[in-house]
Amino acid sequence: MLRDLKAIVSKEVKELVRDPRILLGMIIVPVIIFPIMGAVMQSVFTQVQEGIKNVTVGVADFDHDNWSQILIENLTRLGANVIPIEADNEIEAIQQMQEYNLTDLIVIPNGFSQNITEEKKAQLKIYSVYKGSGMVESARSEAISSLIETIKRIWSPDPFIVSENSVVKGQPVPIPPSTLSSLAMSQYIVTPIAIAIIIVMAMQLAATSVASEKEEKTLETLLSLPINRFTILMGKLFGSIIVALIGAVAYLIGFTYYMDSIFTLIPTEIGVDLAELGLTPTPLGYVLMGISLFVSLLSALALAVVISAFTEDVRSAQAIVGYIYPLIFIPMFLLMYLDVSSLSLPLQILIFAIPYSHPILTARAAITGDYTIAIGGIIYVSIFTVAILYVAARFFATEKVLTARIKLRKLRKAKEEG
Amino acid sequence: MVAVEVNDLIKVFGKIQALDGLSFKVEEGEIYGLIGPNGAGKTTALRIIATLLLPTSGRVEVFGLNVVKEAEEIRKIISYLPEEAGAYKNLSGIEYLRFMASFSARDKKEAEAMVRDAIEISGLGERLNNRIKTYSKGMKRRLLAARALMIKPKLAILDEPTSGLDVVHSFHVRNIIRRYVKEFGVTVLLSSHNMLEVEYLCDRVALIHKGKIVAEGKPEELKAEHKAENLEEVFVKVAGHA
Repeated sequence: MLRDLKAIVSKEVKELVRDPRILLGMIIVPVIIFPIMGAVMQSVFTQVQEGIKNVTVGVADFDHDNWSQILIENLTRLGANVIPIEADNEIEAIQQMQEYNLTDLIVIPNGFSQNITEEKKAQLKIYSVYKGSGMVESARSEAISSLIETIKRIWSPDPFIVSENSVVKGQPVPIPPSTLSSLAMSQYIVTPIAIAIIIVMAMQLAATSVASEKEEKTLETLLSLPINRFTILMGKLFGSIIVALIGAVAYLIGFTYYMDSIFTLIPTEIGVDLAELGLTPTPLGYVLMGISLFVSLLSALALAVVISAFTEDVRSAQAIVGYIYPLIFIPMFLLMYLDVSSLSLPLQILIFAIPYSHPILTARAAITGDYTIAIGGIIYVSIFTVAILYVAARFFATEKVLTARIKLRKLRKAKEEG
Repeated sequence: MVAVEVNDLIKVFGKIQALDGLSFKVEEGEIYGLIGPNGAGKTTALRIIATLLLPTSGRVEVFGLNVVKEAEEIRKIISYLPEEAGAYKNLSGIEYLRFMASFSARDKKEAEAMVRDAIEISGLGERLNNRIKTYSKGMKRRLLAARALMIKPKLAILDEPTSGLDVVHSFHVRNIIRRYVKEFGVTVLLSSHNMLEVEYLCDRVALIHKGKIVAEGKPEELKAEHKAENLEEVFVKVAGHA
């Protein structure tokens, strides 16, 4: 029995290891993806640590009394770099904070010290600028909050209440930054993952549709029919486009629902127009997101069709299309944590060059209102798509569509030699 | 009129020379057979005539149309049945026939007439309503042969038309081919390594060996010339000398 088991296990291992899909999914992708993720995470943590270590905060003191002085001293002692803001009122202080390029402002209202002395609840206001630039940002405002919490513990029992506010596009909004970081979650994690999943699934579909014509030996008959070769190619693409469109619509519906559910966290009575503040996409933003996803999908499908036409069965097609996945996952991971402008120039060029980055960039641009990036991306991806379609059409017009063959065996051999 | 004219056809795939100066003519209304062992170059020759592959050199014409320059025109008058061809397994037999007829028929009425013919040729009856994935190899071949003949092409290119069929169904398909030539003037160019089948079916045959024609003529003439009992014997004698 043991001998039989050994024989079966040995055969299973051989078959699995020799399957490029397994090799790709379990060995090559992790080998590529994890170091990249590691590098990204390291840079994220460095930024976060630096942000926490060197907290710079503006303080507008309208109290000018003993407790406000103690508060500022405490902040300095705890390591914060305090920049005094001289203003006549809160609005002016917020303006000055932005002029000084500060991201956080503590406002000590008039009567702060008196309230503490009289053991009445005093109030302290924190304003944090919300840029929507990445997950690193929410860590920074958390650092200010934790400083204030430490001071509260030193002064205990609970001498003042803190009202946390955000500054969005220069406007103070009575929404705590933590709520806005839920928004960041949707932009930085949910969106890239959803986009990557849609593109990967659509590519698999397109690759299968071409390769199965070869595997099932129907392609030869199809090519001998009085149909224009370009029509055959477009037929294949449009079939996948319909699926892709359904995918894009489903994505937008899901995204809208997700955004709505996030905003139920924000009380409606504050009367703030979230779209105007740039916290949610405008109708134009939604349209651009849809277009961007659609053209990116189209380019991915065209690429999958061309590449899979070189293979002769479905398994090989799926395996070879898998080699494109790093191009989808790298922008996904990078843009999850970081804003593209915070990346080094070579990485920025890489991200902009990969067509599959653009739906993610557009989803973000739709919120920040930077439509130039979105429209530029759509134009770039469209040109890329036309180029791929041209190559695909040329390829379909030749005999190579029948004779080109990449078998699993060849893929394996290439890997062994590589 | 000459249906197919192949002149000094050469086809090279990388380091492999599949066809080495192949030349033959098929007259209109004729059943012409290319015979030879596996790897002789039969399928490559048929694929070039069916406009799927390009010749490396040489000239090939179908009813006076050049396979390189006028491929799209040729595809309108031919019907090609590849060896080991498949069909879309998630379609039913009838859906497959309708799909295929739609590319050759000028209108719906003509398409329906083609499908009716295909129903008769295939002899699959009620099974045509089932999905193709439930068909046996033989049933699939009958469906595909019916597809190739239903459009009554000027030239039917049939690569191993009875491959995978049992004796009864092979007999049925052969009779259909003969009937189509007689009734509709279809020219047939077929390949087979079953020399007995070719002997029964073809008006003229060409024996291919290593990408070249080693003998050509009417089966009876070839047998007499080489003092052989059947074409198999002719082939062994001729190929042995080649």
